[in-house]
Amino acid sequence: MNITRPSLFAALMATALPSVVQAEDMITRNRVGPADAENALTFRLTAFDLYSADEATAEAFGELFTDFILDNPGWRIDTQLQTGAIAQEQARIIEQSRAGRGPDCAMIDSSQLATFKEAGLLAPMTPFFSDEEIDDLFPFVREGVTDENGDIVAWWWFTDLRVLYRDVTQVPDAPETWAEMQEAAQSVADTGLEGILFNAGRDEASAFDWLAHFWAQGGELVDEDGRPVFFEGDNREKFLRAVQVYADLVESGAAPARVTALASYDDLLASAAAGSTGMFIGGNWMYAQIQNTMPEDQAANWAVSALPGPSADERATGTGGWAIAALSDDPEKVEICAGIARLYAGPGNAFQRLLPTSAALYQEYEEFAGAEFEVFANALEDGQARPGVPIYPEISNQIQILLGNVLSGSATPEEALDAAAAEVMDAFERL
Amino acid sequence: MADQSAHPAKDPLARIAAPAITSADATPVRQRRAGAAARILSGPLPWLLPALGVLGLFYLYPIFEAVRLAFTDARLFDTETQLSMRSISSMVGSSTLGVILRNTLTYTVASVVGQIALGLAIALLVMRAERARLRGTLALRTIVLAAWVIPAIANGIIWQLLFSEAPFGAINSALRLMGVAPVAWLSDPSNAMTSAVIATIWQGTAYSMILLYAALKTIDPALYEAAAIDNARPWERFWFITLPHLRAALVVNAILILIMTLNMFDTILALTGGGPGRATEILSLYAYGTVFQNFELGRGAALSMLLLVISLGLTVVLIALLPRDRR
Repeated sequence: MNITRPSLFAALMATALPSVVQAEDMITRNRVGPADAENALTFRLTAFDLYSADEATAEAFGELFTDFILDNPGWRIDTQLQTGAIAQEQARIIEQSRAGRGPDCAMIDSSQLATFKEAGLLAPMTPFFSDEEIDDLFPFVREGVTDENGDIVAWWWFTDLRVLYRDVTQVPDAPETWAEMQEAAQSVADTGLEGILFNAGRDEASAFDWLAHFWAQGGELVDEDGRPVFFEGDNREKFLRAVQVYADLVESGAAPARVTALASYDDLLASAAAGSTGMFIGGNWMYAQIQNTMPEDQAANWAVSALPGPSADERATGTGGWAIAALSDDPEKVEICAGIARLYAGPGNAFQRLLPTSAALYQEYEEFAGAEFEVFANALEDGQARPGVPIYPEISNQIQILLGNVLSGSATPEEALDAAAAEVMDAFERL
Repeated sequence: MADQSAHPAKDPLARIAAPAITSADATPVRQRRAGAAARILSGPLPWLLPALGVLGLFYLYPIFEAVRLAFTDARLFDTETQLSMRSISSMVGSSTLGVILRNTLTYTVASVVGQIALGLAIALLVMRAERARLRGTLALRTIVLAAWVIPAIANGIIWQLLFSEAPFGAINSALRLMGVAPVAWLSDPSNAMTSAVIATIWQGTAYSMILLYAALKTIDPALYEAAAIDNARPWERFWFITLPHLRAALVVNAILILIMTLNMFDTILALTGGGPGRATEILSLYAYGTVFQNFELGRGAALSMLLLVISLGLTVVLIALLPRDRR
């Protein structure tokens, strides 16, 4: 048979085209899997992976999701994007779920896990994870995803933590104590640069970054019953001491007064990139951002270390991250949701180099072999999650207000703490 | 016939047994009903029904629901709510409310006055330029309008970049070049409100400008010609001709801007988040935080009702300033 080139091309196209079209059709802006699949699961996700603006990330997650759907024939995932307004989006999920219109599976900010658990909206996922997987979770993670019945009701798929970044040309040695941090920042400020930057504006990041200094002393925000206690007894002294750390930095000029207007890690990164600051308190994920956004020689100047504490042995760091949870009563959907969580926790994390929540995964993937991950893993040992109580959002809000008032000189630490305590207790009474 | 003559009041069974009306009486009743239906159909009601339906469904029902929620202790994650005055009493008794209301008053008055004054100034400038047949008036109007079409949240982000107090902040860098000391635009509580007002005025001025420009167009040029013949000075023309003729437009403009400004929270949310401390936290932002951060639906609804009452009260006051024939 005489086969001409055009006819060969046509034949190849005829066989290849359907598979190409099929692959493209597997992932759309609102669906993963075949449109006519007999089973569908709705999944509310953030825009940082499958639908990331970064093409490489979107492509990598596209492949992971395609494999997942091929492993689960007959299923389709109807995707719903969350916007960047996290609190509003999480509130919307709760409201919709209560009305029976919520997603079957959703990404939940770890800071909101307590609220979801309190609302009784999360379906147990325990049967879909092995005992080894559950036991391997970091303790603060396991506690966060376990409900009062001992069931695993979410899978915390990555965590993050707060660390101290420093420009080694300005600050060669990592400060280990508050005094060393003050001294190092002051020496940088004396050269005309900003000594140290940290968030102290109206955002959860400000409160959470600062709380590490309170927790490093063993301070407690709430008691075992969830009642706020940060303003009384020993906690009061620890709280005021931690506030004074920031106040001393600003009053001495080691940190600029503009920290009260900083409420985004992007602002800190911008200052680091501009070379206008010697140190800053940021999240672990910023290490990759520094490597990716700065010229290689400039990025090499930035080192990371654990947050300083009152002494070198007293350290803490706030740990956050995101979880995936099922909000459906259908066991098959819960199982698919657990599968999605496993996808994110393992290969998804490895691709994005986010911090896994179980020790085994650090060994399993070579992506976590960098020196920075050693620092992060060590710091995680002092990790402290937000207390899983409904009053936490108001405690955080009042800490943000307190920091603004104290650092701008509008109130003394004691006055600000008393005002915060009154507001928090008012809110607690309303719970 | 005896059955038909039995009085229903005396014999209850008669009410059931006896027909209510005879066939002879039915015709006038039907005619009356038909006449009433015809009157209704020929009136404005059928035409208004769709609009009333939409308004009721999308405007009145949410307001009703918010009022209902304000009288409950509803929280976002509670499945059961109870009727309660707790949301309202906790709002009224809160020591924070005074600070929030003071911030709201400062922000609203300064923003509304600023938007009207600047909008009027630009509208007068455009009119003057058009009378002088200068080129570029269309470009000027378009540039001013460009600010208005920017979403409020983006407006907040833009001004946050401009007001940045980092060594590379835009406005402060310009000030340094001119030998002026940098300003703590956002980190100093006493400056932060001014910065929020500037950002709001920048965006809202276009709306005032368009409304007032349209109103200026309606003033008879003969009045200005007559004033010129009488040697009236510019400020006298403005005071005795322009302002009186703009009175209705100014009041309507003020009402609309007032409501928009009172409800505005996204610009401040992006610009300062309400900080430092509570320096720029206004009522709408406070209500937003109450619902979406603390999940207190009842209290958030009560704060929204307070915002509604303030808006309505100030609107009534402003309507009283309208010329009698325009009310």
